[in-house]
Amino acid sequence: MRNPMNWALAPLIVLSLAACGDKTAKTDGVATATPSPSSKTLAAAIDDAGDLDTLDGIIDNAGLSGVLEGKGPYTVFAPANAALGTAGGDLSGDAMKAQSAALLRAHIVPGALTRADILSAIARGGAGGVQMRTMADDLLTFSKDGEAVVVTAADGATARLTGDEMVVTNGVVQPVDGMLVKAR
Amino acid sequence: MNRLIPLTSALVLAFGVSSVALAQKDNGNGNGKGGGKESRGQQDRGDNGGRDKEARGGGESRGQRGKDWDDRPAKVRVPGAVRDVTREGGGKDDRKELHRVDRRDVDGDVVIFRRHKDRGLVNGCPPGLAKKNNGCLPPGQARKIDNDRDDYARYNYLWRMRGDNGDYRYRDGYLYRINRQGGVLGYLPLLGGVLSPGNAWPGQYDFQPAPRYYSQYYGLNDRYQYRYADGVLYGVDPRTQGIGQIAALLTGQQFNVGQRMPAGYDIYNVPYDYRDRYADSPERQYRYNDGYVYQVDPTTQLVQAVIQLLT
Repeated sequence: MRNPMNWALAPLIVLSLAACGDKTAKTDGVATATPSPSSKTLAAAIDDAGDLDTLDGIIDNAGLSGVLEGKGPYTVFAPANAALGTAGGDLSGDAMKAQSAALLRAHIVPGALTRADILSAIARGGAGGVQMRTMADDLLTFSKDGEAVVVTAADGATARLTGDEMVVTNGVVQPVDGMLVKAR
Repeated sequence: MNRLIPLTSALVLAFGVSSVALAQKDNGNGNGKGGGKESRGQQDRGDNGGRDKEARGGGESRGQRGKDWDDRPAKVRVPGAVRDVTREGGGKDDRKELHRVDRRDVDGDVVIFRRHKDRGLVNGCPPGLAKKNNGCLPPGQARKIDNDRDDYARYNYLWRMRGDNGDYRYRDGYLYRINRQGGVLGYLPLLGGVLSPGNAWPGQYDFQPAPRYYSQYYGLNDRYQYRYADGVLYGVDPRTQGIGQIAALLTGQQFNVGQRMPAGYDIYNVPYDYRDRYADSPERQYRYNDGYVYQVDPTTQLVQAVIQLLT
């Protein structure tokens, strides 16, 4: 109460923030977040991430670094090093370039999917989950398990979104804790 | 008096920002009843208008072999109610515009790119292999594929994503579908395998010439001709037929105005730069795929408009 003007300004500040939020959070009750991307590309963000070294190697081996530096946009569901396990270690060298590309295509979908977009779609979509088409021409299904977002591939492989998403110039990197192809 | 300055600033900020936000919201939902001024694509498309007019039209058949470059821009079919969101260039009358956007439709509503159920598997014998009763390979060679290298066999699960219950083996840049006796039923050149930069385009492998829109949208170099095959856009040197670039990954999905959206586009995924304009609402949804934004009726899931993105 030392400065009554601060209280007088409070509703105006709230009004200002609400106006900003109207642009970035919702439109007529449907979420349409407009994130602020970093200056990195998908390729650079994955290259710089501490726990995505194996995936970065697979991208290089597949010859798809240029695509992930290009316009896109794409969303890459990025298995952490541990999630790729031995699969990642073996996918090196010229003999495994095609396998590297095939594995990657199963983890990439068109467009920029922020976590807010995914959560909003799940909230609207109901218990059956919501689906996105991959660059391998398969479907990924997104659903909630408690607070976690679970991604299920057409072959039954499952993973959870983990860590922090990376919103970049040409898409989004969504770290996951497993591969989206069942190694069987 | 000093205290009035921040108050005034706050008022300006509050109402100013509100106005901006409301204006953008209106833009996003209005769908451009204002004669196409909203279309960002118009400004840059003007630079290319000459090229478009000079397009070597000719046959409309999709996937013509031997024609490496489709000089026509990809077109969109847009109903009258939302036609202005994709209008390009001022001064065209509506009828001409409608004719222009309809040019994309061949055999009715059919998009240019497609993804075959068999993903472009080439039936028959690969180059250098003669057709035998037991497929394309003599028994000895068939066993060689059947008993594939261990490191290859470990990743055979990747080819099960094809979802056709075929038995696939990888070798030397190709994916082979084999029968129970080990003979080859068909083969597919693979991205990262034969279809890699530095290799020549396989002579027997079909492709679709990429419309100019794709080189414009993806900002591709004129040095190459661009070919679409099995979900990938390749840059090919027209002189050597060598693959020079993997330009983009595409779903190759079919979308057309009036059709129901296929499965797999439930989540809002519009590129950041277009989110203010193409924001989901209870009346309209927008989804991005392969360089286009699609306006969809949320209730019927029917595609209402296909929108080019050129800024």
